[in-house]
Amino acid sequence: MTARFASRIGTHPVLAFLLFFAMFPFLVPYKALATQVLIYGLFAVGFNLLYGYTGLLSFGHAAYFGLGAYGAGIALAKLGVGSVWGGLGLGLGAAATGGALIGFLCLRRRGIYFAMLTLAFAQLLYFVVFHLADLTGGDDGLRGIPQLPARLPFLALSLESSLAFYYFALALVGLAVVGLRRVLDSPFGAVLQAIRENGDRAVACGYDINRVRLLSFVFSAALAGLAGALEALRLTVIPIESLYWTTSGQVVMMTLLGGAGTFFGPFVGAATYLVLEDRLSVLTESWPLVIGTIFMAFVLFLPKGIWGTLTGGIHGR
Amino acid sequence: MDRRSFLAATAAGAAALGVPTVLRAQNREPIRVGFPLPLTGPFSALANDLQRGATLAVEEVNARGGVLGRRMEVLFRDDQLKPAVGAQRTKELIENEKVQFVVGGLAAHVQMAINEQTKKSRVLFVSVSQSDEISARPDTSPLTFHEALNPTITCRAVGSWVAQNLGTKWWIVYADYAWGKQCNAVLTDVLAKHGGTLLGATPYPLGNAEFVAHLPKIQAAKPDVLLSATPGADNIAFLKQVMSFGMKKQMRIAQPLQWMPVTKEGGPDLYAGVYAGINFYWEVEETIPSARRYVAAFRQRFGTPPLDYSSYGYSGILELARGVELAKSTDSDAVANALRAHPVYDHYKGKQWWRGCDNKSFQDLWIVRGREPDKVRGEWGLLDVVNRVPADERLDRSCAEKGLA
Repeated sequence: MTARFASRIGTHPVLAFLLFFAMFPFLVPYKALATQVLIYGLFAVGFNLLYGYTGLLSFGHAAYFGLGAYGAGIALAKLGVGSVWGGLGLGLGAAATGGALIGFLCLRRRGIYFAMLTLAFAQLLYFVVFHLADLTGGDDGLRGIPQLPARLPFLALSLESSLAFYYFALALVGLAVVGLRRVLDSPFGAVLQAIRENGDRAVACGYDINRVRLLSFVFSAALAGLAGALEALRLTVIPIESLYWTTSGQVVMMTLLGGAGTFFGPFVGAATYLVLEDRLSVLTESWPLVIGTIFMAFVLFLPKGIWGTLTGGIHGR
Repeated sequence: MDRRSFLAATAAGAAALGVPTVLRAQNREPIRVGFPLPLTGPFSALANDLQRGATLAVEEVNARGGVLGRRMEVLFRDDQLKPAVGAQRTKELIENEKVQFVVGGLAAHVQMAINEQTKKSRVLFVSVSQSDEISARPDTSPLTFHEALNPTITCRAVGSWVAQNLGTKWWIVYADYAWGKQCNAVLTDVLAKHGGTLLGATPYPLGNAEFVAHLPKIQAAKPDVLLSATPGADNIAFLKQVMSFGMKKQMRIAQPLQWMPVTKEGGPDLYAGVYAGINFYWEVEETIPSARRYVAAFRQRFGTPPLDYSSYGYSGILELARGVELAKSTDSDAVANALRAHPVYDHYKGKQWWRGCDNKSFQDLWIVRGREPDKVRGEWGLLDVVNRVPADERLDRSCAEKGLA
């Protein structure tokens, strides 16, 4: 029953996504939590494109989230860029460029070496940003990001209220999700999954899998970067931790919890993780123990994650 | 005891103390104060101490009938010592719990992230841990109050005292992050003003307390004083290594900032003879009336004397209550104006005051020296008070230097 329901959602994923998230702020305890879920969900979607669809485990995705955040933050706080769109664009650009460079270098290795290289580059970036304190705020984090209205041709939308910011973020995350759906439904998306299942066979079919992998890496970094840029606008402060390896670990956890290689899994994972953290930490100081136990239970007994189990393991559909 | 039963017991205790006034106070909505602090993570011992001080303060306020006839309620939240979590928690407190004020934050970077949210929501924030930036441009605001000491004040006060009393040939070891770097810069400046010689300075990555490679060089330079800005658990590792090189006998050791829970954990063997600056040491109750009252109340409530951070938490909450009382309102702007208009207060360690231009609290601090193991009094009588450094606005940067003139 649930599987049928879930697979029906699977036939109109984008519509289902928009309908659900339009109501989401009224289902959680407060609006800022809903926005956080949306942003980390997008971050996890970016990670999932690389891990779940292309089969490459990056352990340094904090780098692109951080590049997006610092790109947008520095543009708005230090370079005097006077528009939200400019900030978002620069953040997205920084993350995609960073993804292209780091991806180009890391994709020369496979498996654990690839994972370690992505981690090493992310940590490298962390220390660079840590020491460029004049530009980045160092370990105090970057502050002073102005809260500008989002200007459209006919109106200026104030983002001061939590609900306004949520729908602003939803519009952008929705666009990203539509874009991702198009990519996954295209022949390119099919090649991604072919590479995940069997790289050698994809080569034998005549695909330049290195180029496809790099493109997937750049798309993934851009999605993570958009999430980072939105987070910078939301908090108007960028903590140095957004580049730290723990942020990379968090997105891996969210994706696995929700279901890697599924379209909604990352959002389900982000929502589960963040809402649990939020509610449990009010009740007990041992909340990491509870989340850790749940995570282990899923990895051991339901390795397809929450959404993957509900949909009976339908990959991507 | 978990937090719920603890709060229930607290409420029951407060009710028993003053039934008629409390009943009156219960008729109206409570005044709610949000309090993010790192209950998990490396600073959890300090955070627990901070929480106790704030708890005692709110109990005292409610026992005497609340504020403006309304009960005061403090909502503690775990910020995990992470700025993003601190920011999210603050949003939750303001949006969901509808807190009127925020007190808290332990560590500069988390305070600043909290401050960004309170500024946006126009909520008064009393910050209770060290930071130079929080009371300077661009971070500060008319609604940002800083109750704690800061690196400039602490390191100027301790540095001047050390230069005048222990010697002027120094070597500085500091953790390479915001607080450590600021302290190093201030100490270097103070030493130059006293005509001293800086033989060298050794930065090290915070949390990576490996000094063995540096110590022979420091030993060979023969400084009068080895100054250490090595916070938290690093401090114990640092002193152990210094001791194993026999350097405690060759030179004086002075630390601008020392924390009581860390001092106790390291033990008197390690800390004997080490000079340090501290914002409050409970034995000053012998000379200061408000400290005597505070220490007695704290002991009665928790069975131990108050430590460094409980005192900031205690004063932060009481100051907020005083501000609301003065303003006769819970409007953040009105309370902030009232505090600036009546800046002098004394909750636990003698006279303190707010400087109007940057909302910075000025307060005494003390120079202490670790007691020899055979002189230690009980569990927490670990230090001898050597000197009191009176509150002085000249110890901090001026408002012009902070970009606020």
